[in-house]
Amino acid sequence: MEEYRQPIILLFVAAYMGLCIWVGLWAMRRTKSAGDFFVAGRGLGPWVVSLAVFSSTLSGFGFVGGPGLVYATGLSSIWMAVCSALGFATGYFLIAKRIRMIAEVRNAMSLPDIVFARYGSEAARLLTAGTILLGVLGYLATQILAMGVVLQSILAGTEMFADISLLSSIVISSAVLIFYCVTGGIVASVYTDLVQGIVMIIAGALVVITAASVFDGGFAEATNILLANDGEDIMPFGTLGPMAALSWYFLFGLGLAGQPHVATKMMMNRNLSDNKAILPMTVFGYVIAAMLWVSVGIIMRALVLGDVAAPLAGADEAAPAFLSTYAHPILAGVVFAGLFAAIMSTADGFLNIGAAAIIHDIPKALRGRSLDNELFWARTATIILSLVAAAIALSSGQLIAILGAFGWGTFAAALVPVVLIGLNWKQASARAAVAAISISLLINFAIQIWQIQIPYAMSGGFIAMLTSMILFIAISMFEKEKKLPKDIDRILEL
Amino acid sequence: MKIIHVVFVLLLAIAGITVFVWTSEVPNAATGIPHPEVAGLSLGGSGTDKLSAIGDAPYYFQILVILLAGSLLYMGVPAQRRDTLLKVVFAVGLLFALFVWAMLWGGYQSYLTTGETTVVFGFPAPTNWMFWGIWGSFVAFDLFYVFAFRRYFLHPDDEAAFEALVREMKTEENA
Repeated sequence: MEEYRQPIILLFVAAYMGLCIWVGLWAMRRTKSAGDFFVAGRGLGPWVVSLAVFSSTLSGFGFVGGPGLVYATGLSSIWMAVCSALGFATGYFLIAKRIRMIAEVRNAMSLPDIVFARYGSEAARLLTAGTILLGVLGYLATQILAMGVVLQSILAGTEMFADISLLSSIVISSAVLIFYCVTGGIVASVYTDLVQGIVMIIAGALVVITAASVFDGGFAEATNILLANDGEDIMPFGTLGPMAALSWYFLFGLGLAGQPHVATKMMMNRNLSDNKAILPMTVFGYVIAAMLWVSVGIIMRALVLGDVAAPLAGADEAAPAFLSTYAHPILAGVVFAGLFAAIMSTADGFLNIGAAAIIHDIPKALRGRSLDNELFWARTATIILSLVAAAIALSSGQLIAILGAFGWGTFAAALVPVVLIGLNWKQASARAAVAAISISLLINFAIQIWQIQIPYAMSGGFIAMLTSMILFIAISMFEKEKKLPKDIDRILEL
Repeated sequence: MKIIHVVFVLLLAIAGITVFVWTSEVPNAATGIPHPEVAGLSLGGSGTDKLSAIGDAPYYFQILVILLAGSLLYMGVPAQRRDTLLKVVFAVGLLFALFVWAMLWGGYQSYLTTGETTVVFGFPAPTNWMFWGIWGSFVAFDLFYVFAFRRYFLHPDDEAAFEALVREMKTEENA
């Protein structure tokens, strides 16, 4: 079977992409309005929502970048994963119910709609939409680039496509993504997320079993190799040290609820009471899939430091190298499909909220109403957004790096105080919301543009989030509490 | 003292420690050292040196973060549902999270002192505290959400009040 490894992997990836296209066609029949396109008419069941939330949280980073970071720096980055139980708890304790309630009474279709409903400020809505758009472009560009690189590496292993270019690989993979996002909107997005989530869980579980069998002595043998060669890497804080790891815990643990592609999905469930089932399914789905991140990184590091395997060309090669050497061809096929699933499930969520920002939120903030024929323009915006992100992915590494800074950290820093605290504290003010978003953008941009090195490798996103939270509460405390609209006031009581 | 004030004080204290760390002297291997032969791979170097200038600052930092997380989660329970049982559950949950953190930090300090550690379930003991303890201490809150959902997070009276609000808004919209 080994000689058919590449065709088998290709078959799994092609089958997965075919499934995405089929879901897109199926979802097109269920998408009749902008409300269906952006929030699935608020009619999704708990299984779909929970898998959509977890799969869009764990992007391609978890399957490629994560193992690469463990290979390069030991367990430092695992703090981004072990905080998931806290991250999802903050999401469901603090915002899931209220976002869903506001969405229903105000017919909200996006997070900026929720921000406007809460603060009554077009400036806050515009800044939220602008932040989302900047973040989406950066994140989307990196996801599209990752899709292209992975597809190129798979196709290059076959005779027929040995010389395929990165451009062609990006065009093929983006075409599939654009097709199902344009035809089926968020309905296609969440149902592909359902498939993608299941594939990711299966891939995560099988890879852990495989990783445990690479050394005769299992993970204990790998641990002993690492302890003999370094030691710090397999201890809780990895090679980067405690402050780097703990700043990530803060940013990822408390910042998850500020991720717009995650928060938006919290307004899509059919019943408020579904949250009771969604939270545990999300937490356990995530942790199983994330085990790939930990296990592959540790095993590859132990193999290289133990002189069992040759050093990798780059840290991001950890997962592909592990799969091509140690995984059964069928498992490699499942995991590569899982990798595409992880990338696409995040990218489709970004396309959705980005399109909403362009055709719904920004026009509403600037001229008081959204565009006519929103469904048509939503589909058009999805295509344009994908093409712009693909162009950024192909054109400039520096631009991606700058926009990439508007990723998790910026969303967390800008939106956690405004959404997470603002939906639980009546005194939170519009002026504070505008200031918090502005300062978080400023700090994140400054750190990226001037390449500011923060001592002890503390995360720049953490610094921005901490500052914006303090500023948000301080400004709100000094302002006189304003009377909220009746519906929002009553929802904040519940 | 309102819970938002507790959150604010904790944020300021975290900021204080962050400023202290930022302004402290940075040892050479504070964030690891490049592997001499393998490109792109870093080694940890001496953990003791890493902490030489900042001491136990990370320990107190994480205590504050755990308390902040607990305070924020507490904010998510409607004020009228915050009874004594809830306070007890939160207190026990946070004490457990702090215990886990103390075990992790203590185990790591012991490793730095002796250079030895016990391997349990395939990983060093402090690492197990991180994998299962740090994750598990907030899974306890996730499970509390599930089991106490109707009592604290979507009480039947609150659900009915929301349904009444939706009806009221629709009536006003149609009027």
